[in-house]
Amino acid sequence: MVQKIKTCVIGSYPVKIDTNEIMKKYFGKSEFLWNKYIAQAVHDMITAGIDIVSDGQTRDPFIQIFTRKLKGCRIRNRTEVVEKIEYDGPITLEDQKYVRSLIPKEKELKGVLTGPYTLANSCIDLFYKDEKQLAFDFAYALKKEAQVLQDHVDMISIDEPFFSNSMPDYGKELIGIITRGISCTTILHACGDVSKIIPQLSEMPVDILSHEFKASPHLLEAFKEHTFSQKICLGSVRSDDIRVEPVREIADHIKKAVDIFGDKIVQVSPDCGQRLLPRDIASQKLINLVKAGETING
Amino acid sequence: MFSFTKEQEVFDISGIKIGGQPGLYPTVLVGGIFFKGKPDFDKAEKDLKKMLEISKKTGNPAIPDFFIRNEEDIEHIVNFILEKVPKDHPFSIDIIEPSIKITTLGYLHKKNLLSRTIFNSIHIGITDEEREALKKHTPEMVIIVAFNPKDKSPDGKIEVLENGAHLIDIGLLELARKLGIKKILVDTAALAPGENSGASIAAIPVIKEEYGLPTGCAIHNVVEKSKWLHDIESARETVDAASNINIPLFGGDYAIFGPIENSNLVFPIIAWQDILISEYTENYFGISPIDSHPRRKLQ
Repeated sequence: MVQKIKTCVIGSYPVKIDTNEIMKKYFGKSEFLWNKYIAQAVHDMITAGIDIVSDGQTRDPFIQIFTRKLKGCRIRNRTEVVEKIEYDGPITLEDQKYVRSLIPKEKELKGVLTGPYTLANSCIDLFYKDEKQLAFDFAYALKKEAQVLQDHVDMISIDEPFFSNSMPDYGKELIGIITRGISCTTILHACGDVSKIIPQLSEMPVDILSHEFKASPHLLEAFKEHTFSQKICLGSVRSDDIRVEPVREIADHIKKAVDIFGDKIVQVSPDCGQRLLPRDIASQKLINLVKAGETING
Repeated sequence: MFSFTKEQEVFDISGIKIGGQPGLYPTVLVGGIFFKGKPDFDKAEKDLKKMLEISKKTGNPAIPDFFIRNEEDIEHIVNFILEKVPKDHPFSIDIIEPSIKITTLGYLHKKNLLSRTIFNSIHIGITDEEREALKKHTPEMVIIVAFNPKDKSPDGKIEVLENGAHLIDIGLLELARKLGIKKILVDTAALAPGENSGASIAAIPVIKEEYGLPTGCAIHNVVEKSKWLHDIESARETVDAASNINIPLFGGDYAIFGPIENSNLVFPIIAWQDILISEYTENYFGISPIDSHPRRKLQ
């Protein structure tokens, strides 16, 4: 039996934060709960019919979600690293538990970690003065988050967009620190044009490689030239374009990839997080992605 | 007791100076009027008179803070300000609802009161319409509430001032300046016990050292939220008033001390505290208090 290709999100999802309501609660001295925004994101994913959902990463941009709670970081205009990076307790666990409580049993949950190389390159380093050491300490800290998450999510995705800009020669080691010994499925997501780093990606110690095949369709041909053991999460709708791709167009894209890679295609998703799209556009893209997936799965 | 390495701004509003190095100017005390229920103008007039009298006695400048909660109260309260607050004396308007803020700014402009107005407050909840109203009818001075729901620590307060904590498109300081506001007071956003309530006090020296702006808060709100105190009724008022000493002690410039009715208790407490601070800061840092400082006025 051919395994069903599952639809999923990458991580972030746009929701409108009502800052006026937040301030009214502050002045009224009543408690404000963020959960309503997580619920909105999850609601859209579930309504669209997505198989694998995330918490929507609504709390912060993907860098600050982690740097806000890691010891050694201080958020100014950007995050500044002012001391040794250390894990200071669960970062996304409570949100994942909350999402689990919201979703039907047949749906799966993806925990998302912003990768150590991307974190190292997004912060202002006032302490290490050594990008590699900083990236490794981020990796050790994220490992602890992965260990905490693995019993509560179905898969963990490491988001490393900076790999497409410059893949360090220690990239595999960094990812390995996080994934080694993790019991659930692991994913490496790197958006951008990764055609030049496919050999390094093929060596990554993860179960699934996730890339933006829709915005960079030449990646299909580029990956074809290489041997790799991982499965593929196929970016199938753009995250940087408000045009909603018709179902037929998405289905054709998926079919083309399946024709090349067969059962290596296990997930289809947006190219990247959808945070920067208007909510109605993001939602419609997910709806069409699900319909295209149904066309392919039959 | 502090002296800051960052040069400290001192802003003047109708002759009242706010800011500077600790020990230089007396702590400015902001007392709330019309906090609850329908505005009682007769009582307000008496309370205002009492606050101004005790202010004159201690030397701590007094600013009445007018709560406006309903559209229909705006005109009456603005007229009260016009008639009962001494000419050239500053006041603040304390409004939550954006539409009421906008209408009130228009009224204050119409009555030529904006040069005496402290707008309480700008925060992450500001609407586009409110921004436009502030550009059109710009008050002399603004309080920015540095509340960051993502991070209640002093760092979080700096973040919201710097970049809006990604909750709005711009940092609150830059936003205020873009609206044409030059005189900015920072409110470190007091929070309830259990929610890092001490951070609003700890943030005072951090923010003054970072920006040099006049800084304070409404620390008495923490007392109001201390449920255990409800069982010790006899002590509540004293604790509420005494909580304000934390502000000058940590280098702060102004205290939003709660109901104006508490003036007779709060002013002497703060005057006493200001004297204590001034004795040290003059001896150690060479900061001489101005003539109207409680240390000069009270023997």
